[in-house]
Amino acid sequence: MHRRAFLLSSAGAALSALAPATGVLAADEPADFHIAGILAFSGAYGIIGKDMRQGVELAIADRGGKVLGKPIRVSWEDDETKPQPAVQKATRLLAGGAQMMFGAVGSASTLALQGLADQRKIPLLVTISADDKITRPNGSRYTFRTSNTLGMEIRMCLEFAKVKGLKKIYGVTADYQATRDGWELFASEAKKAGIEIVGNDYAPLGNRDYSVIVDKMAKSDADGIAVMVTGNDAVTFLKQSGQVGLNKTKTQFGPVLQDETLAAAVGPAAVGVYSGVRYHFTVDNPANKKFVEAYRAKYNEWPSSFAGEAYDGISWWLDIVESTKSWDREAWVDAFAKSTRENSLEGKKVMRACDHQAAQVGLWGVVTEGQAPLPPLTMKITDVFDASKLFDVCS
Amino acid sequence: MSTIVIGLSLSFLLFLLAAGLTLIFGMLGVINFAHGALYMLGAYVCYQIVHWTGSFWIGLAFAPLVVAALGAAMEVITLRPVYNRDHIYQLLLTFGFILVIEESVRLIWGLDYKQVPTPALFSQPIALFGSQIPSYRLFIIGFGALVSVLLFLLLDRSRLGMVIRAASSDSEMAQTLGVDVSKVRTAVFALGSGLAALGGVVAAPLVPIELGMGFSVIIDCFVVVIIGGLGNIKGAIFAALLLGMARAAGFTYAPEWVELITFVLLIATLMTRPAGLFSRKGRAA
Repeated sequence: MHRRAFLLSSAGAALSALAPATGVLAADEPADFHIAGILAFSGAYGIIGKDMRQGVELAIADRGGKVLGKPIRVSWEDDETKPQPAVQKATRLLAGGAQMMFGAVGSASTLALQGLADQRKIPLLVTISADDKITRPNGSRYTFRTSNTLGMEIRMCLEFAKVKGLKKIYGVTADYQATRDGWELFASEAKKAGIEIVGNDYAPLGNRDYSVIVDKMAKSDADGIAVMVTGNDAVTFLKQSGQVGLNKTKTQFGPVLQDETLAAAVGPAAVGVYSGVRYHFTVDNPANKKFVEAYRAKYNEWPSSFAGEAYDGISWWLDIVESTKSWDREAWVDAFAKSTRENSLEGKKVMRACDHQAAQVGLWGVVTEGQAPLPPLTMKITDVFDASKLFDVCS
Repeated sequence: MSTIVIGLSLSFLLFLLAAGLTLIFGMLGVINFAHGALYMLGAYVCYQIVHWTGSFWIGLAFAPLVVAALGAAMEVITLRPVYNRDHIYQLLLTFGFILVIEESVRLIWGLDYKQVPTPALFSQPIALFGSQIPSYRLFIIGFGALVSVLLFLLLDRSRLGMVIRAASSDSEMAQTLGVDVSKVRTAVFALGSGLAALGGVVAAPLVPIELGMGFSVIIDCFVVVIIGGLGNIKGAIFAALLLGMARAAGFTYAPEWVELITFVLLIATLMTRPAGLFSRKGRAA
């Protein structure tokens, strides 16, 4: 009897020990799929957050607002283009049960979120920040980038210089580490390709006056001007170089120098400027046509590169989550790390398991005068560089 | 030689940016944190006027007036009741102006970049000393010199300037002698606000017009004001020339060191002449 009682009580204890585990599994299936959207809605990149949010919201609407049979809920927070608010606000959303993070805009914020992703084992999807450190071999298990890297865009500059037959290049580079690294990569590769670097000036980030540098460029015998600055600095540089007609005598180009938004801020001096393009609404494939049509119908504007990349990245991610049929975040990470997006807005994208960076083609374009209904200054895609020319081999 | 021409244009642009800040501090004793926001507002109002009329010159004439009127209203409604209180109230108030102005600009014009083209009259470069100098830079030099002379004459040589100086030196005595000190203060704040807007208008064809543009200039403005001596127009002119020339030379020979050069000048001034190179004693609101 004692033995039977012992066995019964042991079995009961075992069952009761299992019960909480079963309960956890049940509780793991939440009421909704909660995304912590940490973007810049104010500060230096405030203009970008709105477009990214529109891209994500359209992607969610496209799939009926659901994944794994549950409604998708996005909590949007403004990181003010600063890392500290990004981490604070993301931490609060994760404490509230968010299953993944989306963002940020600025690379500094994204790198800060990356630390949080690794610490909390929460996936982080990056669709705009370009710092090469975000995706690197043996880097963050939980971070994925579906958009361009700065290194890839620098290589596009080099490919363009070769295609265009530029012989001598003068550069201007924003004085911070990522762009310094980018310039050094460009300069060393350019020299190998037989292109002479006749000068480069590092200008402070947020510089408001390029007149002296522009004067030095104008006096040089360079036929190409490599502009390794972006955003406000790019607009300021091009406005001021346009005032001395630099755009008429030399080819100006840069990794992230222009898109429709920046060209509108520069004005006519933007015409003829070449730039890497992360996404463009004129890319000719069925997925992009469908997206552009839906975006214009919903927002009455052309999708920016920020909106396109955000739509593309989150659509890919949610499709992978759906394919796992699981609420296990580790399963999502494993599946995404070896996934391929055949029908991306820009063509095929392959997620590299080694660094969680999407290998993809590089779009390159020039600012032209657009005809209605296109924006008055619009990018025309002139080159599509193959991924094999833009990414190092990674294993 | 071209470096000197470019340096002069940098200098007078710096002076236009900082003149209003130093005027308000010198005459009212108020450190106007909202100076950058008023500069931004001037650029946006200019953009709007150019958008409506197609003329930069109408923007140059009217945008500073619009912002000056707003400055006058701000002074009457909010600053006037706190002149006799601790300076911290004035600081907090002008900080509050930044938030109100930025939010208003965001609501009216949105987050998109705005663009003011270079006026057609100054759109072509001019060959000078072996360089192609943007003619708009030459306009900045001429216009900045004109504004600095007018300000100097207004404050140091005119009867109105004498009244302003009297009201700032000893407001109670000036009041006793029949000067309406409240009106003088309002006029000074309006003039300072208008000058901030003028800086925004002149800078508009050179930079993108966006919500953060005021923040990026405020440090330069304070550097000019601190080096020149708080509240001193002549000092501001000298400091702007010193900084502008140093930056032009820096960008020519060592662009990486430009920011360092600026702050070395600032620190050297603070160590040797803490009140600024042209400091005046006895100013009080």
